[in-house]
Amino acid sequence: MKILTGFFSLIGNLSSFGLRALAAVFAPPYEWQYFVIQIEAIGWQSLPLITAAGLALGVVMTLHTRSGLVTFGAEAWAPALQSQSFFNELGPLVTGLLVAGRAGAGIGAELANMRVTEQIDALEVLSFDSFKFLCVTRIVACIFVLPLLTVFMDFAGLMGGFLSEFMISHMSLQLYAASAFRNMGWANFIPPTLKTSMFGFIIGTVSCYYGYTINEGSDGVRRAATNSVVLSSLLIILSDVILVKLIFFFFPGDAL
Amino acid sequence: MTARTAVEFKHVAKSFADRKVLIDVSFTVAAGEALCIMGRSGIGKSVTLKLMIGLLKPDSGQVYIESEDIVPVPEKELSRVRRNIGFLFQSAALFDSFSVGDNLAMPLRRFDKSKSPSEVEQAVNEMLKAVGLEKDKDKMPAELSGGMRKRAGLARALVLNPKLLLVDEPSSGLDRITAGEIEDLLLRVKTERHTTLVIVTHDVTCVRKVADKVAVIDKGNIAALGTLDQLQSSENQVVRELTSESSQ
Repeated sequence: MKILTGFFSLIGNLSSFGLRALAAVFAPPYEWQYFVIQIEAIGWQSLPLITAAGLALGVVMTLHTRSGLVTFGAEAWAPALQSQSFFNELGPLVTGLLVAGRAGAGIGAELANMRVTEQIDALEVLSFDSFKFLCVTRIVACIFVLPLLTVFMDFAGLMGGFLSEFMISHMSLQLYAASAFRNMGWANFIPPTLKTSMFGFIIGTVSCYYGYTINEGSDGVRRAATNSVVLSSLLIILSDVILVKLIFFFFPGDAL
Repeated sequence: MTARTAVEFKHVAKSFADRKVLIDVSFTVAAGEALCIMGRSGIGKSVTLKLMIGLLKPDSGQVYIESEDIVPVPEKELSRVRRNIGFLFQSAALFDSFSVGDNLAMPLRRFDKSKSPSEVEQAVNEMLKAVGLEKDKDKMPAELSGGMRKRAGLARALVLNPKLLLVDEPSSGLDRITAGEIEDLLLRVKTERHTTLVIVTHDVTCVRKVADKVAVIDKGNIAALGTLDQLQSSENQVVRELTSESSQ
């Protein structure tokens, strides 16, 4: 019972933290400069990881699926399967989980460390709204960069699939691209990509919540980093179930 | 003529959970004066500083800064009060992700929007020169030694030319020579800028050099208030031990 109460209390606190951040986005002063720094830290610095992971995952996916398709003589469908898998699910979900691991842990640890070393107090003394300066900028940056990183993940995955296919069947890039996008519509690309904004909101909110509110020395920094990754990842997977259902509801063609 | 009061505590009490840190604390600091607050570790000295700048709110009592009670002032309006207060944190609390120069420029850009970028840069350069860090403007805080961090923190606290400077443990973690340099800087701030100083310290050498008055907090109250010499001959044993120069 105590665990259940603690869980719902945490969800309540996270929701109110996230909603407070969203409300603060529209109130001046606007911390543009720091927002751009966060875009660079969360987005640009995650790009090598995302593209490398996408490429490797693309290669592995093709190796696995192609052998199955060959059994049914359907290997020509490998590019289409690859694009459907990446654009609809793998790209958004893996991007969310990777950013939760890289940026989420970083945000949690950085803010917790700032709390321990009195940097957050120093911001308040200098009349900065520390919540807005530190949390809102990071949460909005996460919301903004996740769809962009997902696009890179999708295309890196497709490129990995092509490289794998090229090694096996020497298929040309033009033919691979034509096959990959033959059955793809905007509905396969835009809703799944935009849903990652919700993943970004979850990563930003959870990480900032733990980092900003924990004040327990070096152990607090460790806990903030760990909790940020664990809870962000869990909530991303759970929210994905709901978001996929919603996408199927609003774009029934996707479900076919 | 009586000196203008810069800080006044009236019957201030502050608890954390069920632990009463301050029970009934009252004192005044005149403008231009340097008050050192002493006391055993964990007795509420840093809490007293944080109450002065509104980082904490007392459970009861009044905290006057320049004759304005800041306790009922809402958080959003505290920036008006804080504009005239500098704070040197125990760890210096420099922003890790900004260079030393940017640490100093941040409050200038925030509070003094009339300043052009070149004027901000000039003010930063002047302040860094005053603390002897003119060559370290582009360094990141992690590249600085403990003493340099303290000096950079002091420069940031002074960059807006505050009327009141709050200093938390200026010599903690520093060797005596480096601590002496920080104390010299504080003394210069007091004599040249006529800034009111409130310093929390354990270091009697610092008190001897900088303080006009010393307050000793014990058991949640002001146990003694006076000059260092007066407190050294106090009847209260805790006060005598804390202010003893032979124990340093």
